[in-house]
Amino acid sequence: MIKRRRYQTTLLYIAVVILVIYLTAPFLWLIIMSISPSTDLTQKPLRWIPSSIDLSSYENLLTMGINTRGELFLHALQNSLTTALFAVFISLLVTIPASWVLSRHPGKKSFVLSAAIFTFMLPPIAYALPLYRMLSRLGWLNNSFSLALVYCTIVLPFCVWLIKENIDSIPYDLEESAIIDGASIARRIINVVMPLLLPALGTVALLALIMAWDEYFYALLFTSSKEAITLPVVIANLASGRQSSYNLIAAGGVIASAPPVIIGMLFQRALVRGLVQGGVKE
Amino acid sequence: MATRETRRLSLLLAPMIIIMGAVIGWPLIQTFVLSLTDSDLMNLSKPAFVGLSNFTRAMRNQGYLDSLKVSALFALVVVLSEMVLGTSVALLLNEPFKGRAFVRGLLILPWAVPTTVNAMMWRLIYNPEYGALNSLLFQLGIIDQYVSWIGTADKALYSVMFADIWKNFSLVSMIALAALQTLPESQIEAATIDGANGWQRFRFITLPHLIPSLQVALVLRIIETVKVFDIIYVMTRGGPANKTRSASIFVYQEAFTNSRMGSGAAYAIIMVCVIMILIAFYLKGISKKES
Repeated sequence: MIKRRRYQTTLLYIAVVILVIYLTAPFLWLIIMSISPSTDLTQKPLRWIPSSIDLSSYENLLTMGINTRGELFLHALQNSLTTALFAVFISLLVTIPASWVLSRHPGKKSFVLSAAIFTFMLPPIAYALPLYRMLSRLGWLNNSFSLALVYCTIVLPFCVWLIKENIDSIPYDLEESAIIDGASIARRIINVVMPLLLPALGTVALLALIMAWDEYFYALLFTSSKEAITLPVVIANLASGRQSSYNLIAAGGVIASAPPVIIGMLFQRALVRGLVQGGVKE
Repeated sequence: MATRETRRLSLLLAPMIIIMGAVIGWPLIQTFVLSLTDSDLMNLSKPAFVGLSNFTRAMRNQGYLDSLKVSALFALVVVLSEMVLGTSVALLLNEPFKGRAFVRGLLILPWAVPTTVNAMMWRLIYNPEYGALNSLLFQLGIIDQYVSWIGTADKALYSVMFADIWKNFSLVSMIALAALQTLPESQIEAATIDGANGWQRFRFITLPHLIPSLQVALVLRIIETVKVFDIIYVMTRGGPANKTRSASIFVYQEAFTNSRMGSGAAYAIIMVCVIMILIAFYLKGISKKES
């Protein structure tokens, strides 16, 4: 190891402290705002430390009542979860067998993989106009199920890309012995590939869930009321509303961030490996 | 035998191809078809074929050209900052120090915060009257009156960029850090014994090792930022005075606010062409890496 001089060590720790502040301060301030009484947040200069801890904004958002903020927010929370889970479920269901084909028989249908990677990179606005017309003709606007199908435009290419990569790393020899035993393709996928794929599949599923949870554009276009509206749309509406109280908006943000932040902290190693694999490998 | 095998394989691919066709392939073709018509969101009568006139008008529309410039500037500044900041932070977190595991753990926080929450959070921080940034800078004596960060034409775009960089530099940093961890320490030691100083070690060993990862992160981030919509839309709706209106926001407004589907589609197709050029660079980069 290379020895550091004392001034270098000091500089290093100063840089680390600055980094920690940069990484955490904005989000910590969001949490502080969310537990401050609203009068604290409209003072000049600001009160950095809340005069008292006030959880009423959380109570407001998380209490069910007819035509209240809580009703819309809780519905949105549920819709976001349903839509994300559904989109990821459909995507995994169709991409696992497809990725197996793409991995074990490369060349044959490789244009499918290129098409998936290509479409992953196009802007959603390139699909949004016809999708909107189609959904509105079918009467499928404002519906969590059809929104989940639309989310496949983002989630599915990502899944097929990463799952194929992971099947590539499972040795084919294992399947060969199953072939000798007379196993069908389905048996080989279910009995041989799947058990080894599961950890990676978990990572892909978590990344895909975070992706779907984050989606705003399609939800903004295709949903309008509590039946299907998602959390990002509600958050954005809260943020641009005129008279909203800041602690309430902040509480909404903290709640919406909680699932991905907790998942991120718990599964950081696996997630980063997945991200690196998705981004860096071809 | 061979055909039966092929049929089986096609059967396994079919569900995915059907879904991709329905939500990706078909809409993309339809967008192209739409771009050749005068289709209107509100008018349900059959749209007329207008040839390439939407495109010729698009290329002369100053608002659209300006929005392309906004997207390009956004992509350039954001991605460059993220690369520099992300790499520097990765190098810092690769140095041994007390609490390193903890700080590395924090690195995922900005990335995990949803984009709309990030936008809303910075909107609150930038608030011209009660925002934390104004209050902080004022109390430190850096500014003597409150600034309207996202409400002033010359500051809005850079303020939004700063918010986007906060969230996404962490991805670049995580990718770079993962690459640094695969760099054998023996290489650095060997260079040190050969008398290389810190800068030389970085320039001739660490950087070449990082470049493949950074290249791909770079192109992925460019492709992401060129199509930017949500963070800007939530923070400023494209204002003030259209100074933050990106190409995606422009197309959205044309198609859905002004309900001109046909010309909106033409604008979208032009964007697709620009992004396809970027993808071509990306694929070229990958094939170079392979060979």
